[in-house]
Parts: sequence; C-alpha cells; structure tokens
Amino acid sequence: MIRTSHLLLKLALVTLVVGGLFVVYLDARITATFSDKMWELPAKVYARPLELFVGLALAPEDLAYELEVLGYRTVITPRSPGEVSRNRDLFDIYARGFEFPGERESARRVLIEFSGGRIKALSAGGRGIDLMRLDPVRIGGIYPQHGEDRDLVRLDEVPNTLRLGLMAVEDRDFYQHWGFSIVGIARAAFSNLRSGKVVAGGSTITQQLVKNYYLTSERTIVRKLTEVLMAVLLDLHYEKDQILESYINEVYLGQEGPHSVHGFALAAQHYFGQPLEQLGLHQQALLIGMVKGPSLYNPERNPQRALERRKVVLDVMAEQGVISPEQAKVAQAMPLGLNNQRQFRDSFPAFLDLVRRQLRRDYREEDLTTKGLSIFTSFDPIVQRQLEISTTAVMDQLDPGDKLQSASVVTRFDTGEVAALVGGRKARFAGFNRALDARRPAGSLLKPAIYLVALERPRQYSLATVLSDTPLTIKEPGAQPWQPQNYDKQSHGDVLLYQALAHSYNLASARLGMQLGLDAIVDMLARLGVEEGVPRVPALLLGAGEYTPMDMAAMYQSIAAGGFRMPLRSIRDIVDANSEPLKRYPLEYDRTASLQSVHLLHFAMRAVVREGTGRGVYRYLPESFAVAGKTGTTNDGRDSWFAGFSGDLLAVSWIGRDDNGTTGLTGGSGALKVWAHFMARASKQPLAYRMPDGVQPHWIDDRSGYLTGEGCPNARMLPFIIGSEPRQRTDCAPGESGPGSGVKDWFESLFGGDG
Amino acid sequence: MGLSHMFSRGAVLGLVTLLAACSTYTPPGPEPVPAEKPPEHTVVTPPAKVPEVPHRPTTPSASAAWQPLLAKAEQATAQGDYEQALALLERAQRIDPDSAEIYLSMARTYQARGDGAQASATAERGLLYCTTDAQCNALRAYTR
Repeated sequence: MIRTSHLLLKLALVTLVVGGLFVVYLDARITATFSDKMWELPAKVYARPLELFVGLALAPEDLAYELEVLGYRTVITPRSPGEVSRNRDLFDIYARGFEFPGERESARRVLIEFSGGRIKALSAGGRGIDLMRLDPVRIGGIYPQHGEDRDLVRLDEVPNTLRLGLMAVEDRDFYQHWGFSIVGIARAAFSNLRSGKVVAGGSTITQQLVKNYYLTSERTIVRKLTEVLMAVLLDLHYEKDQILESYINEVYLGQEGPHSVHGFALAAQHYFGQPLEQLGLHQQALLIGMVKGPSLYNPERNPQRALERRKVVLDVMAEQGVISPEQAKVAQAMPLGLNNQRQFRDSFPAFLDLVRRQLRRDYREEDLTTKGLSIFTSFDPIVQRQLEISTTAVMDQLDPGDKLQSASVVTRFDTGEVAALVGGRKARFAGFNRALDARRPAGSLLKPAIYLVALERPRQYSLATVLSDTPLTIKEPGAQPWQPQNYDKQSHGDVLLYQALAHSYNLASARLGMQLGLDAIVDMLARLGVEEGVPRVPALLLGAGEYTPMDMAAMYQSIAAGGFRMPLRSIRDIVDANSEPLKRYPLEYDRTASLQSVHLLHFAMRAVVREGTGRGVYRYLPESFAVAGKTGTTNDGRDSWFAGFSGDLLAVSWIGRDDNGTTGLTGGSGALKVWAHFMARASKQPLAYRMPDGVQPHWIDDRSGYLTGEGCPNARMLPFIIGSEPRQRTDCAPGESGPGSGVKDWFESLFGGDG
Repeated sequence: MGLSHMFSRGAVLGLVTLLAACSTYTPPGPEPVPAEKPPEHTVVTPPAKVPEVPHRPTTPSASAAWQPLLAKAEQATAQGDYEQALALLERAQRIDPDSAEIYLSMARTYQARGDGAQASATAERGLLYCTTDAQCNALRAYTR
C-alpha cells in the first residue's frame, strides 16, 4: 500500500519534471523563433519598370498588355491607383507609384497619347512629364523548399471590418482569453450540435497560429495538448495585436500552382487582383470564410459553396455588430468579384531560373527565401510575349507534330541585359530550360570567331583577302584525318573573305582557321565570352563542342557591342525588406577585341543576311531594316541556329530535338525564322552604320579582290582598316575614288549594289 | 547597277555625317535581295512582314527625358556618391543607348571614381555615337 503510493508520488514527480522541462523547451522554441517567423519572407522578383517619355517607340497594344500584366483594372474614369481607361490611342492611367531603389515614383493620374507607334504626349494634371516609370511587374518569388509565398501587411493596414469579422467568425474572445478558450470550445460544440454538422472549430486564433507555425496536422491528444500549451505561452510572451498580425499574414488560404497562398494580403492579390486595403465587404467576407476550408470554399472551383459560406460569414458579422444588417444584405447581393485576369506570377519560369542561378552565386539560399529582398531584373514582359508568340507561331508551322524543341535568348546589347528567355516550346511551364542547359554543337555560329582573328591581323587579312574554298584533309596525330565538306558538297574556288563568311563556306573557313592556328581561335572564343565546352580540335572550326543558347548570346553580345565583353546581366538591383539598397550589378565593359576589326566583321555579317545564308530574314523584315547575323547548322541538321542583332536587340535562337535526332532543318530554314519573325515585331531600331576611326572604304573588284574604280565591272565598296587595303589594282582604275568623293556610292553599294 | 536616285537624299545626309569624325548615320535600305525562287511558303500566315517602323536615332524628346537624370548624376558625383551617379546614368542609357553625351558622363564618373580602365572603355564605345567634334574630342581624351 505504502509502496504503491510511493510509486505514484514518484511517477507524479517525474511527470511534473518532464512536463516542466517540456514547457521550458516549448517556451524557448517560441521565444527563439516567433519574431523570425513573422519576418520569413521570400524574395520578390520584379520585371524592369516601363519607362515612359515623349518619343518612346511603343505600340499602344504593348502598353495595354503591360497594364494587363500589372493587373490594372479598366474603368470608365480612373479614381484610384491601379485603374485605367483607354480610348484608342489615349490612355488615362492612375499609376500606382512604386518605391524604387533610391527613388520613389508617386501614384498619380497620367494621360498618355500615342501617334504612329510612339508616345506623342505625356502629362499629369495638365502639365507635361519628362520621364516616369510605371510600377514593375512582379514576376515571381524565390521560395523556400516548402513553397510558401507571402505578402506582409501591418495590422493598421488591415480593413477594420476584416479584422473584426475575422474575430467574430474565428475567435470572439480573442482579446480576452489566454490563448486558449473554454468558452470558445463550448460555443463551438453547442453550435455544431445545434446545426447537426461542424460549423465552427473551437481553436482560438492563437492555437491556429501555433499549429501553422510549429506543428503537424496530425490529430493526437499529445499534439493537441502541445498546441494548447504553446498557445498559452505565446499569449504570455506577445501582445494580442502582434499575434493577430502574424495570424493575418500566416493563415493558409489556398494554392497557386506549386505555391501555397499564405496571408490575407497575398490572397487578396491572388483571388481578386487587388491590394487588401481596397477589398469590398463581400470580398473580405469571402476570404474570412475561406479560412475554414480554403479548398472546400475555393471560389474558383466551388463558387456555389463559396457564396453560401460568404453568406454565413456576413450573417455572423451583422449579428456581432461588425456591420449593419443592411451592409450585409448589400454585400450578399454582390457577385464573388474574382479576378478574371490571367495569372502572370511565375509564368516566366525560364527567366526566373536565370535570375535564381545568378542570385545563388552571391547569396545564401536562406537569405533569398526569408529576408524579404526585392530583386529588380531586366526582364521585359513585352519582349517576352513577342518571343513566345514568334516561337509558337513558327514552331507550329515547322513542326505541327511537336517533335522539335526551341529555345531563344534576347538581350539589349548596349547594356548587356537579358530581356527575354524561352527555354522550350511550352514557355509558360517550368521544365528543362534549354536556353541555359541544352549543350549542343554550334555549327557555323562559331565562324565569326575565326574571321575576327583574321581581321585583327590587318597586315595579313582584310575583307577582300582571297581564300581558297577547295577540299582539304587535316591530319592530327592520333586522330582520324578530318575532311570537312561544304553544305552543298561543292567547292567554290577562290572567294573573298567576306563572301566565305556570308555563304558560310566550310572549306574556306577550315583552311583559314588552320592558317591562323587553333589556339588563336580558342583564345578568341574566350575573349568573346565562350570559355567552357570548347575542344581544341580542328572540328572546332565548324562548331564542334557544347554550347548553350546562353553561351552563344554571350559571344554575339560581345560582337554586337563592338568587341566589348560584358557579362550578361539579368539583375539590376537588390534591396532589402526596408527598401535599403543591398547590391547593384553595374554595367561593366571589357574591351577584348579591336573595334575596327569587329566593325569589319559586322560588315560581313550584314552580307550574310543580304546575300548569304541568312537572306531569309528579309521575308520577314522590311528591306530597309538593317540587321546582321549568322546561321548555324550541325551534322545531319541536328541543330538549327541563328544569331544576330538589329540596332537595339540581340537574339539567339535554336531548334533541335531533346533526343539529339535530326531535324531536317538548316539554320536558315529553321531558327532563322523564329529569329526574324521575332525581330520584325520586337525590334524598334535597325542597325546603324557607324564607322569607327581608322577605317576607310575602298572600291574593290569583288571577283579578284583588287582595288578598282567606281563604275568598273564587279566594283563594290568594302571598309578597310587603314593600310590594309589591297595593293593590286585592276586595269579599270583610272581614278580610284578616295574615301571622300565616293561616299555617296559607298552607301549605295554597301549591299545589294551588284551583289 | 543598283544605283538609284531615291537614295541620293540619304546619301547627302550620309556625306555630311561621315565627314564628321564619327558617323551616326543609318544607311538607306539596299536594293531587294535576289529572291529565292520560288519563294518558300512563308512560315507564318501573312502578314509575315510588319509595317516599317520609322526610325529616328535620337529624338530631341528622348534627350529631354534623360537630361534631368544627368543633372542628378552630376550632383551625386559632386557629393562623391559615384554608385548613385552611375545608377542614374545607366538608367539614362537604357532610355537612350545611342547618346554620346551619356557615355561621356559615364566616362567622367568612372574617372572621378578612379577607375581609368572603365572610363577609357566607356569613352571608346561612346566614340561610335558622337556627332560633334567637341564631343568626339572630349571622349577621345578619356581613351588615352
């Protein structure tokens, strides 16, 4: 008897000690992590803001699209931020304003008038505006593994009716209880009993928060006890308002693709496309009702149930005096008020992928997913849309059977910024990002590197140097002899250097490359930004190796920019949760190839599209629109490439199969079409002709490569690095016109003259 | 062959700009390319060609848009805040990538920050866009 009671006492003591320790442990856990949990915010990723000014080349439709992506609502008269009205070429926009790094753009109502594809007038309140920015499109976030997204609000930003309504429905005694409420449980049990089904849960808001933060969803008595204990502890340590604020930001309200929607602010954006502060009573009531069962009462999938639930909530709100019965009645008559617009967030997976990779070089995963950083990128939704449309239009025509894949990269080569990216035919779905990860031989896309090496040796080579396009065999020790062939299986005899590139003659290019030396070619590729996957073998001259579309974009970027290597950037600025600038990714130039030589290369690449393998681009582009580019085809047509640039955009397109099978396409019959279709619609500026210092044009006989005179047979003008022009002269050269007098003809004969 | 009168106006303009040290002139369109016959059926249903975009290299109004940014950048430079100055200049350059004036401001700012290599590279690129002797010479000074 005594023994038993002794044992019981011991047991009780142990339980008490263990229980006490457990409480201490829970307490420590709460105090150590609660404040952090409150601020665990994924990084937000933004597109470039659209800059508006008079003279900007922009189609009204593109502005309309930008506003649509931004979720501006079309109204008769804009009265609050985020509203727009349009009358053909006239836009009346109530711009939202935005806190940019270093500068605030305030919300204001602006009038924009278009004329001839440009902004003709831009004003606010009758006064002209020099320059303004729209708010940037939020294109996604960097989420933690469990994929939660969140948009934080302060309690004082939460509409009163929503706050009071939430308590009326979920936890009436919130401000009175100790984190746990017997009254609440009894009331819930009673109303469940009365209605014969579960209409209310007995958990307080504090308990629900604890459950969300710390506990699994299993239903055991131990877990329930832990929940109650932690709720009481939480209540002990923190203000009621802090707890409520956390709850409002934490509560689970549904799913957006792979990401769960947490918090009322994000839910307001997700379901209604509006900020929380702007929600109507009917929308607030719907969200409050969804707390109980986000998928059961999902207004998109179960609109009828959602309406019923909303009515229940409105009734409770009226009954509790949060709103008047009249208000409840009006709200009940309202439609669900859902956002009908397309969801754009995270619908640009390829670009986000690029941003994430750049971020991970500089930041810890944890900082990205919890510190609430804002990441400003160079992503251009308007260019992206065109790239997707062009990819789909051309690919559906080329390959209705869906066997081929395609990827493209677009940069603004003046600044080295990536504007758009397509990683596969289904651009809006995450998956294998071919723009970054498809490693393929590049075919003739590498040839410009060979020609640039030559043109950098003006004592030996010029655009008019005669090359021999005749069969050759290259024997390397320990390797099979290499016998390249032309695409047409012919040899073309003596050709001028620029013609060999324009027509992409393999024999002439291989001969030239061997003369220059493989090391020089490998070195040039590195200088242009291609350092990985480059094999030092003769076949490199015809594109052997492994290159992604992004690698090719880096190479052509250096060429387009005039021999300046710039790292391709996708991120401009990063600011922290308090809008303090954290890091800027500045523009950096590195001169790696001679400007004059690159200028000559540009000439040859213009010849590609005017008279060579890239002529097809002018089935899409207006004749007067100057561009430069290069086609690429690999063995048996496994890869079809095109890379080139206009005056503002650089694009690289690739078509191939994931299983590396043949496509039946050349660069000219495949990727060129995606490229040209896109350029014809997205580029606003043709390639200008800017002759650098130290370059002079001369009349050349384009059969012999000799100097000749204006009006002589086969005469055309080519640019030369001063001193590199040919010495030999045709007989027909009574007065070889100097650079001054021949300028008129120079422009006329630039291309097509006698071609 | 290929000579036509419709280009002469453009050519005169070209003459003028080419005679300046740096040309910013866009050459007029060439003659039609020898068409591939028969033309392959166009990939995309017509219209495969979009209407020509009238292009003006640098509109006066674009400069009105970025001039205030340059002024702000100068202030920032004066206060030694080169990062802010460069951020403003990069924004200006995105608005008008073909402005030698912006390149010149950038080169100056790099120089002020003590980054001679970037100053020189920037000025060299800017030389492609300069339109007056004064501007070209100012840029050239940074390339040495």
